[in-house]
Amino acid sequence: MTIPYLLHQFLAATARRSPDQTAVVFGERSLSYGTLGVLTNQLAKVLRAHGVGSGDRVGIYVSKSIASVVSVFAILKTGACYVALDPKAPAQRLAYIVRDSGIKILLTSSMKATDIPVMFPDDCPLNTVVLVDCDVPRESLSISMPDGVALVQWDEVITQSTMSLPENLAVETDTAYILYTSGSTGSPKGVMISHRNSLTFVNWATECVGLTVADRVSNHAPLHFDLSTFDIFSSCRVGATIILVPEEASTFPVQLVKLIERERITVWYSVPTALTLMVLYGNLTAHDLSCLRTIIFAGEVFPTKYLQKLMTALPQTRYMNWYGPSETNVCTFYEVPQLDPERTAPIPIGKACANSEVFAITSVGNKLTKPGESGELYVRGPSLMQGYLGQPEKTGKVLVRNPFNSLFDELVYKTGDIVTVDADGNYVYQGREDGMIKTRGYRVELGEIETVLYGHPAIREVAALAAPDELLGNRLCAIISLHDGKTLTREDVLAFCNQRLPRYMLPDVIEFRETIPKTSTGKIDRVNLADSISSQ
Amino acid sequence: MESLINAHITRAVLSKPDFSLKHDTPLFESQILDSLSLLKLVLFLEKEFGVVVPAEELVPENFKTIDAMCAYIRSKQGKG
Repeated sequence: MTIPYLLHQFLAATARRSPDQTAVVFGERSLSYGTLGVLTNQLAKVLRAHGVGSGDRVGIYVSKSIASVVSVFAILKTGACYVALDPKAPAQRLAYIVRDSGIKILLTSSMKATDIPVMFPDDCPLNTVVLVDCDVPRESLSISMPDGVALVQWDEVITQSTMSLPENLAVETDTAYILYTSGSTGSPKGVMISHRNSLTFVNWATECVGLTVADRVSNHAPLHFDLSTFDIFSSCRVGATIILVPEEASTFPVQLVKLIERERITVWYSVPTALTLMVLYGNLTAHDLSCLRTIIFAGEVFPTKYLQKLMTALPQTRYMNWYGPSETNVCTFYEVPQLDPERTAPIPIGKACANSEVFAITSVGNKLTKPGESGELYVRGPSLMQGYLGQPEKTGKVLVRNPFNSLFDELVYKTGDIVTVDADGNYVYQGREDGMIKTRGYRVELGEIETVLYGHPAIREVAALAAPDELLGNRLCAIISLHDGKTLTREDVLAFCNQRLPRYMLPDVIEFRETIPKTSTGKIDRVNLADSISSQ
Repeated sequence: MESLINAHITRAVLSKPDFSLKHDTPLFESQILDSLSLLKLVLFLEKEFGVVVPAEELVPENFKTIDAMCAYIRSKQGKG
């Protein structure tokens, strides 16, 4: 057998080795690895018949369900890459992503398919929509599609031959998926991750957690969020069971805790916010969570206060903090030891993962930082993204030549994150110098919010700011000044943003001012504004 | 009570004051509420109607629609 070098080869191997093992659980429904292998073969055949292959981008537009996992593997099997569209994002943003990535074929479910005529304008490249209705057995529906868009029913998929496609439709440097992330100039950027980039992370993560066939792994993050790649691909590699966390269960902390108990989840991976909500409103100690052996969090800083409470409520569990922007996959990790109850300082992001190296460079003199000095974190290794789709300039600003490699032009990733090193050699995150912040675990470029708001005809000037918030990470604030004679309400502004930005990017606070304070150099005085907001 | 909660959801949570929200609209399936907006709403309800919502009662049965919320709050008020 070949050593897997493509993500979907894990599925082929696991489906052969343990076809009866449960692959995915979603509420009352589940799917074995054998069935997952067969369904993805059939769906991949339909996609191939519509011309999908290496280098193509295929969209996935479904609410989290078994169809999400089936779609991911079917697309990869054709040699193409998947672009997961946030099912809750506004139509304008989705239409932008479809155009930007050149999606011609979209996988969706009957539930979501009715959105399509509204969502996609005439100039978008979409020509085929395939209904992936493996979650709810149903009759063929006649859903009207825009002109020139063909609709393929699920019946057509499940009558295909179940044999697998050739495995060599891609090479490891082909793009496996594209993750869209906030961009400072007003449009999201597509981070291209190859099979090799992803496998570097998946292989390390599987070993780091010690994942086995006996594990039951939560999938809390949505598919368009990079946390989902551990849940899906690491589980698939060892034949573990993926427990999809239904969107409605994520809403109620007690339901999440009950889900962990009922499904005997052994490994939980999510943003800290979800865990904080469980600590505060989940009644953790009233439930039997003895199966839960490992909790991993990533995406933002876990407030130490709530991490302490979580560790006290579940003392037998192993805790890990993973760090890494979408562009690098996870590149450092920290296993949380018993914490001093008096501790308030945030825990470190830790040390480099296997097959990754990280270093920090001082802002003055471009030297490696010494202990105690702060500097910008750089990452090198095979987990780094291929680049931003169609954005060579933006790519060139972050994938830069390694100043310490004199042998050849090696690219390293410049994270923009400022770190120090502690006495044990662990990196500690300190903050950022630019306008990128985290809220609810999502990355937000404040500039993107500003650009959108500048698009409103009544707005003269705007500053987007972040105010630290224990629960959200950050609250987003928009300070707005209007053109003379114009009026605008908070609701008007939100309604305008609602059509253009995903929900997590909507300002939590909106304030109108006559003028926006400036520094002596004429720049927006962010320090002054931040002070005036946090003192409220 | 129903219309007060309705107005709060459409204005403060949804930011669409013109949105016509029925008292039996399923709030979660239709993506009107999510985990964080629900918690903000709970804080509003606790303050507005003088009730305390314990973790075990923060479940869909009590919050799935505006009607369900009102029935839940009234039962709490009746006890208090």
